Amino acid sequence: MRRRLSIPELGGARAAILHRPHATVTALTRQLEAVGLQVDCHWPELPASARAADYLFIDVDTAHDDQFPWDPGEAPLPTIALIGSEAPGRIEWLMTFGADAQILKPVGDNGVYSALLIARATFDARIGLAGEIDALRQRLGQRQTVVQAVALLAARGKSENEAYEQLRGMAMAWRISFEDAAARIVSSVGGPQDTQPPQGRKNV
Amino acid sequence: MTRTIDLGLLFSTTGPYHLMGQASLAGALKAIAQVNADPSLGIAFRAVVRDPGGDIDAYAPLCEEILKTSGARHVIGCTTSWSRKEVIPSLERMGGVLWYPTPYEGFEASDRVVYAHACPNQHLLPLLDHCFSAHGKRVYLTGSNYIWGWEMNRIAREASGGVGGDVLGERYVPIGSTDISRLVDEIAALKPDFVLNQLIGPSQYAFLEAMAELRARDAEFAEGRCPILSCNMTEAELPVIGAAAEGVISAGPWFRGLTPALPGNEGREDFGSSFEAAAHASVMMLARLLANAPEAETLPLPDLLALPGADAVGISARTHHVTLPVAIAQVRDGAFVPLRTYAPIEGDPYLTRSQMPEVRPLIKVAT
Repeated sequence: MRRRLSIPELGGARAAILHRPHATVTALTRQLEAVGLQVDCHWPELPASARAADYLFIDVDTAHDDQFPWDPGEAPLPTIALIGSEAPGRIEWLMTFGADAQILKPVGDNGVYSALLIARATFDARIGLAGEIDALRQRLGQRQTVVQAVALLAARGKSENEAYEQLRGMAMAWRISFEDAAARIVSSVGGPQDTQPPQGRKNV
Repeated sequence: MTRTIDLGLLFSTTGPYHLMGQASLAGALKAIAQVNADPSLGIAFRAVVRDPGGDIDAYAPLCEEILKTSGARHVIGCTTSWSRKEVIPSLERMGGVLWYPTPYEGFEASDRVVYAHACPNQHLLPLLDHCFSAHGKRVYLTGSNYIWGWEMNRIAREASGGVGGDVLGERYVPIGSTDISRLVDEIAALKPDFVLNQLIGPSQYAFLEAMAELRARDAEFAEGRCPILSCNMTEAELPVIGAAAEGVISAGPWFRGLTPALPGNEGREDFGSSFEAAAHASVMMLARLLANAPEAETLPLPDLLALPGADAVGISARTHHVTLPVAIAQVRDGAFVPLRTYAPIEGDPYLTRSQMPEVRPLIKVAT
C-alpha cells in the first residue's frame, strides 16, 4: 500500500533534547532551528514540562528509565533516539523504551528533518493502533456479557438469531455499542421488558 | 594592502546543461573582475576553474581537486541538486564551502552551503498562486525523473489540494529522453488549466515543441489557453528553445529588464539571466564578508556569517538561504515580460514559516 506522508506543522514546534552539553547537541540544535523549531536542552533530568514538547531526542548511550516520567514504551510524544554505542545492551534498552525514529551519532550536517517526519508518522500510527487495540480488547472482554444478554432475550421465546438481532436493534436505538447494550440488558433486574428504548421505537 | 584569495568555480560549461553552467560562470567571472578592480575591498580573487562537463561523477573529485591543489576554501558551483549533494561530503571532509547559485527544490540547509538562488517559497508557491487565480485549478504535473521534478510536483500537489484544486495527471520522463508523445497525448485528452513542467534539457525542448504543434492543431490549446509553467527557465535557454517557448510562464528572482536585480548585485543589472545574476551576487556577498576581515577566508561558514556586519549581506545565519525578490514572467516575442512582481522574501527551505510574498506593483520596468 502506498503511504502518503502528511507533513507535520514544524514551524514553531518545540523539540526537547535530553543530552549532556556536547557537539551533538550543537549540531542537532542547528539543524532543528534551520527547519524552524524551537529547541530546549535538558540534562540530566527531563522536567515535567518536556511533556508539552512536540518532539523528544534522547541519548541512548546514557539514558536510563529513571530519567523519564513515564513507563517504558509509553512516551507521550514522538521520540527520536540518538545512537552512539551499538552495544547490544544499549539497543536492548532502546527496544524496550521505544523510539519512533533514530539518528546515528555523531550528528553532522543532516538527518534531523527526515527523523522528524518519520517520528511523527510512526508516533501517530502507534497511538492510533494502541487505541484500536484497546477498543478490540474491551470488546473481547465483553464477549461473555453478549452471550448472557442473547441468552436472556432468547429465554423469552426467541430463537438465538432473533435474540441477536433484537440486541442489535436495541444498541442502534440507544445509540450505544452492541457490547454496552448487552451489558445494559444483563444488569437490568427485570429483563428486557424494563429496558425498552426511551423513544419507544419498535425493534425486531 | 590587497590580499589575493583563491576562489573555486565548478560549473559544467560543456555537456547537456552547459547553457546554465556558462551563465553561472559568466556571472561569477564578472564579479571577480569587479572585486579585483575595487581597491576599497582590500581583496582580489584568483579563479580556480574546473568543468565537470555535466558528468555527475566528476563533481566530487574536481571539487576536492580545487580544495587540495589551491588555497580555495570557497567554491561557487553546481547547477543540479544531484551534483550539489555529491560535493557536500567532500566539503565536509576538506573544510570547504559551496555557494550554490541556481534554483532548487528546498528541504536542505547544509552547514557547508550558501543557497543563493530561489527555493520553492520564492518560485513555485508564488507561481502557483498566480496561476490558480489567473488560469484555474485543474492542474497537470510533469517533470524529469529525478528529485527536482518529484519534490516540486509533490509541493504542487499539496498546494493544489490546499485551494481545492484538482491534479488531473502526473507523468515523468527519463532524463535526456525526448520521447514525450504519451505525455502530450494525455494533456491533449485531459485539457488541464495549466501544465507545471519540471522537465529539464532536451526533454523540455521536445515537450515545448510538441505542445506548440498541439496548439497549432487544437483550438482548445490556442490563444494562451493551458499555459506551461516553469521554475527554472531563464533567458539563458531561450535561444535554443526558440518559438516553442512562446507563452511559457516562469518564476524567478529576476528577469532581464526588471530593476533592481538581486540585492547581492549591489545595483548592477547587466546580466543575461538570473543564473548569471545569482552567481555574480554570490561572489559579491563573499567579497563583502571577507573584505577588511583578515584571515576570514579560512573561517567555517557559520563563523563567517557571525562576523560583525555579516547580517547586512542578506544570508540567513539560520538556514544559509538568501532573501530574494520574486517575479513571474511570460515569454512573449522571444523575451520574458513580467506579469507580477513581489517584494523580497527570505528563503524558507522547509516551508515551515511560509507566507506568500507581498505583491509589489510592476515599477521601473525598463523597456
